[in-house]
Amino acid sequence: MDDALILVEDLCRYYEVGGETVRALDGVSFAIERGEWVAIVGQSGSGKSTLMNLIGCLDTPSSGSYRLNGADVQGLADDALADLRNKEIGFVFQTFQLLPRATALANVELPLVYRGVSRRERRDRAEAALAAVGLTNRMHHRPNELSGGQRQRVAIARALVGEPSLLLADEPTGNLDSSTGEEIIRLFDDLHRRGHTILLVTHEPRLAARCPRAIRLTDGRVVGDGPGAEVATLTAARVVHA
Amino acid sequence: MRRLRRGLVRAASEISEGVRIALANLVGARLRSFLTTLGIVIGVMTVIAIVAIIQGLNASFESQISTLGAGTVYVSKFGWFVAGRDAWWEMRNRKDLGRRELEAIQREALHASAIAPMAMTRGPVTRAEKEVSSVQIIGTNAQYLETGAGSVAAGRFLAEIDVDLSRNTVVLGAELVDRLFPGATAEGALGKKVVVNGIPFTVVGTIGRRGQLLGMNMDANVIVPYTTFLRDLGGKRSLNIAVAAAPEDLPALEDELVGILRRVRQVPPDKKDDFALNRQEQFLKVYRQLTGALYGVAIGVGMITLVVGGIGIMNIMLVSVTERTREIGVRRALGARRRTILLQFLIESSVVAALGGAVGTALGLGVAQLVALLTPLAAAATPSAVALGIGFSAGVGLLFGSWPAWRAARLDPVEALRYE
Repeated sequence: MDDALILVEDLCRYYEVGGETVRALDGVSFAIERGEWVAIVGQSGSGKSTLMNLIGCLDTPSSGSYRLNGADVQGLADDALADLRNKEIGFVFQTFQLLPRATALANVELPLVYRGVSRRERRDRAEAALAAVGLTNRMHHRPNELSGGQRQRVAIARALVGEPSLLLADEPTGNLDSSTGEEIIRLFDDLHRRGHTILLVTHEPRLAARCPRAIRLTDGRVVGDGPGAEVATLTAARVVHA
Repeated sequence: MRRLRRGLVRAASEISEGVRIALANLVGARLRSFLTTLGIVIGVMTVIAIVAIIQGLNASFESQISTLGAGTVYVSKFGWFVAGRDAWWEMRNRKDLGRRELEAIQREALHASAIAPMAMTRGPVTRAEKEVSSVQIIGTNAQYLETGAGSVAAGRFLAEIDVDLSRNTVVLGAELVDRLFPGATAEGALGKKVVVNGIPFTVVGTIGRRGQLLGMNMDANVIVPYTTFLRDLGGKRSLNIAVAAAPEDLPALEDELVGILRRVRQVPPDKKDDFALNRQEQFLKVYRQLTGALYGVAIGVGMITLVVGGIGIMNIMLVSVTERTREIGVRRALGARRRTILLQFLIESSVVAALGGAVGTALGLGVAQLVALLTPLAAAATPSAVALGIGFSAGVGLLFGSWPAWRAARLDPVEALRYE
């Protein structure tokens, strides 16, 4: 268990809202090995966004422990968290979150800028990352000159360019039509087969069913953890029962 | 070593990235950038224009004043700068300076390199039917030019013999040549007769053009032997005595002159001097006080405008931070540290302000040139003023951009990413 990429134990995250304590995450534990493709699935308000922020080192837990790639994230200073995000995590967002005034290439170079990579190496690696997602001929376009699917590919190239140990995707198909979404999922499938560790946060059971493993959250607790198809079915059944 | 290298590369790429982003935003919102920097542009323009004009005035004033002769002490009854009525009346009641004083100085002033009396009056100068009225008539000796009073253009200056024999010889200023001998060269006037204040004189030489000193025409004068002046044009006037010396000898010369004059004029030891030693430096001193005050006003006005401009920049940077909250969130998610974001926004505000400063400097110099063209005022721009204009506005950008930049850096990445 010690060589798990992600090791989460009794993780809690509380918010104070209007004098009341909201338990967004209430004692979550699991481990994710290198090379796994795992879906975090749950309805809105289930705590999956909170969990993603914690795993993405964007937020710190109220209690519990989180180890990423052998390093204890607990109690790290802000700068250290920033460096950890830069090195270990590649984010893919629902709304792409590309910088509108920068070209695809400049967007993909950005994580390397913050890592202090020289200009030439930055360019080479960004071009390679864009080629890997099939956008060689779109490198000098701005986001508003690209289709939704192409934008998400740029975002995936940006997530991969720094060779992070974890790809963290938050509803990556949420803003895409179904056929484009399918392309993106196939791209993840491909990346998984090439050995990337992928954590996919989604509310869609259909998507979670495609993943080899899924973790289901309800009210800040883990209520299911197993093969994607099973957990997704269980989820669907619950939705039907409800 | 490797860590250090990485750190340096990172800092350099963050700075160049910051400048790139700043320029991209500037171009992306041209109108807004223009309006934002307008305050800075106007402030810098005002200061640069005023400073350029003052520096131009200084240069022209100093070149004018240098015609007075830097190494010359002017001994007079009156001081050049009189403080109040009582002082003026005290000077008015002094004994006139005359030949006795002149001869004592000629005899005893060891540090003097040239000594020239100056008796002055105004009167008409005519030749045939041509008349120039109210010409400055100067009675002096052969050493006059050595006290810094111009140089001969044609013929010769007064000689000792003219003075010794009280000859009716005259040297004409450039304007007199123009007006009494229109169309002729300076040489054409030599040997001709002119009538100075009713007395006939023969022209022996002319003086080269000297221009103006503080609005006084230095070319509308005629120069005659002081002996002739005292005999024919008025012997009751107080003399001024110009005494020249090498610059390093000036203090010693002044001490010497005070001693000589007090003795000759029999000033008791407990009384103050009843004469004045004037030097061109006094002009410079008074002038510098005047322009110093002007500088102060210009800089005060400029400061106020820059503060107003700085507030404009702060305002627009706050708007920019709000608008780009999601961008900040993305950058933080991708590994930008807080100080990276801080640096980015500081660079942005100082680049905007520095560009405004550059535009303002260019406009200010343009205004100064325009003023120089359209008015008698001169304008001069020094590189230091330009550097100061741009540097100062960048500083204003840095100062007023720091609070917005700090707010940007303090944003929580989770909140920033979720911001709509």
